[in-house]
Amino acid sequence: MLITGIIYYQAISWILIDQNDKALMVEENEIFDYVKLNNKLPQEFDSKDQQITFTEAAPNSVTREFINTDYHKEKNEYESGRGLITSVTVNGKYYKILIVESKVETEDLIQIIFGITIGVILLLLLVLLIANRLILNRLWQPFHAILKEMKVFNLAENKEISQTTTRIDEFAELNQAATTLTSNARHDYKDLKTFTENASHELLTPIAVINSKLDTLIQTEDFSEQQSKLLTDLYSAVARLSRLNQSLLLLVKIENRLLTDQQTINLEELVQELLAQLEDIFSDKHISIKTNLQNKQISGNQYLMEILLNNLIINAVRHNHINGEIIIELTNDGLSVKNTGDTKVLQDDKIFTRFHKSDKSEGSGLGLTISKQICENMGWQLNYQYISPYHTFIIVF
Amino acid sequence: MKLLIIEDEEGLRESIEEYFKGEGNICETAATYADAVSKVELYRYDCILLDITLPGGSGISILKKLKDHHYTDGVLIISAKNSLDDRLDGLNLGADDYLVKPFHLSELKARVSAIIRRKMYNGSNLLVFNEITIDLQAKTVSVLDKPLKFTRKEFALLIYFIANKGKVVSKNAIAEHLWGDGIDLADNFDFIYSHIKNIRKKLIEAGANDYIHAAYGMGYKFADQ
Repeated sequence: MLITGIIYYQAISWILIDQNDKALMVEENEIFDYVKLNNKLPQEFDSKDQQITFTEAAPNSVTREFINTDYHKEKNEYESGRGLITSVTVNGKYYKILIVESKVETEDLIQIIFGITIGVILLLLLVLLIANRLILNRLWQPFHAILKEMKVFNLAENKEISQTTTRIDEFAELNQAATTLTSNARHDYKDLKTFTENASHELLTPIAVINSKLDTLIQTEDFSEQQSKLLTDLYSAVARLSRLNQSLLLLVKIENRLLTDQQTINLEELVQELLAQLEDIFSDKHISIKTNLQNKQISGNQYLMEILLNNLIINAVRHNHINGEIIIELTNDGLSVKNTGDTKVLQDDKIFTRFHKSDKSEGSGLGLTISKQICENMGWQLNYQYISPYHTFIIVF
Repeated sequence: MKLLIIEDEEGLRESIEEYFKGEGNICETAATYADAVSKVELYRYDCILLDITLPGGSGISILKKLKDHHYTDGVLIISAKNSLDDRLDGLNLGADDYLVKPFHLSELKARVSAIIRRKMYNGSNLLVFNEITIDLQAKTVSVLDKPLKFTRKEFALLIYFIANKGKVVSKNAIAEHLWGDGIDLADNFDFIYSHIKNIRKKLIEAGANDYIHAAYGMGYKFADQ
């Protein structure tokens, strides 16, 4: 831009100075014609923008040249000017002629032309820039739309990537690819979930049969101590299998958001109820319970709320020691369950994953996964922290 | 009492039949939808145990048929479909209770007994076992007209035992009955023992016989002997 400007400025200057020079040459010719005709020098004169002076000089001492000089306008007032030095011989006398022309008008002209041109160029640039932005924005709009959809895409949600209408082939293709990719992913995910659900479901009947056969078996009389020990172990194993299976089914249901009916639940009452229900389990381990419950109403699924609270409280019992302590706090912003126990800090990132459990745990390893999923469905957060001596699980509403 | 067991899984059907037989109970069974429909249309039962998924049709439509005819048979749905919708559908259509597979036979028996008790409700709502009288409405227990103090869980446990009298009830079944199947503390049944000890002590002190017997360390039996 700058270079173009300079070149442009130089070109205009050059053309106009050339014009000036031509005018000076015309004047020179006029002087020569006058001298030839009248055989004497013309009068020296000052016009508005031309000054001609003659001075005697030694013969052949003057070379013809154009110069940039000052144009004497009025007393002590000079403007820039362009001059031509030439010579003429009149009656054997050699004269130096200086013709000076004011360059002010020329320079004004240059400045005006330059100004207008630069102005137009800048305006053009601005228009171009704005137009570019608008057009590019419009042009890339489908791309940004697709990108936005892909960013918020969630496998678990049953929301398709919407078809963006575009006449640009590349974007249409991109959209096509994104749609195919997501629908494939969703399809596979659905298959996997269906498989989990079906597998768990198919397991229910054999478990039910084993359970009922065991119940029937213990009705037959006379067992040795060894036999009854075996039966007790069988019972425990079947109970665990059945709970594990139920947890898997429940997890699929929560993930699929199949438990949708909402009720108004008084959390304070629910916690009290659960604590009353589990009273004898606490006293069996000599665990003391401290509660600080505020009245809090929420809208949610009663069944899921019970499971969530039950899981957290049972966990607090299971991982507690004899004569331990559980503190339950319910405020308007959250619910926390603190318990004493092993002094080892749990791994924050692992405890919520499926089938992660401590070596001693008798649980299914799905309790916290289910709890976390329930919280997510409710739009809550479930966090763990260890502040000695309490392991704390906090639900942030 | 007269029962109809509609269940396609042979193993389960046989176990249930076996468990309910005796004490003057009559059990009939149906393995398919068609079989079940023909039995339900011909005979009346005190309680029908109804599986939802049957070969040839859905248990729900059998339930609808019963209600369309205004039959008053008690209906207990036993289903592998542990979905809340199914449960609500079943109960809204007039089923008396809903039990999810897998379940303990003792739990099933307790539920069926409760349904039949409600059907035979004769104003007093008393459950009498020899010298023990239980008022189900007021939730009180008395022995030889002497009222006893029972906690909520002890009360529930006593009714559970009486419904399963003469049967060995496993500790697992008791734990699930008292604390729900969400409870996951299979390693420790001490707290059951303390409840049982309390019930026995209270009954014996009031002059009742000792009906509760430990059965080989895996459960308890409530029996009149």
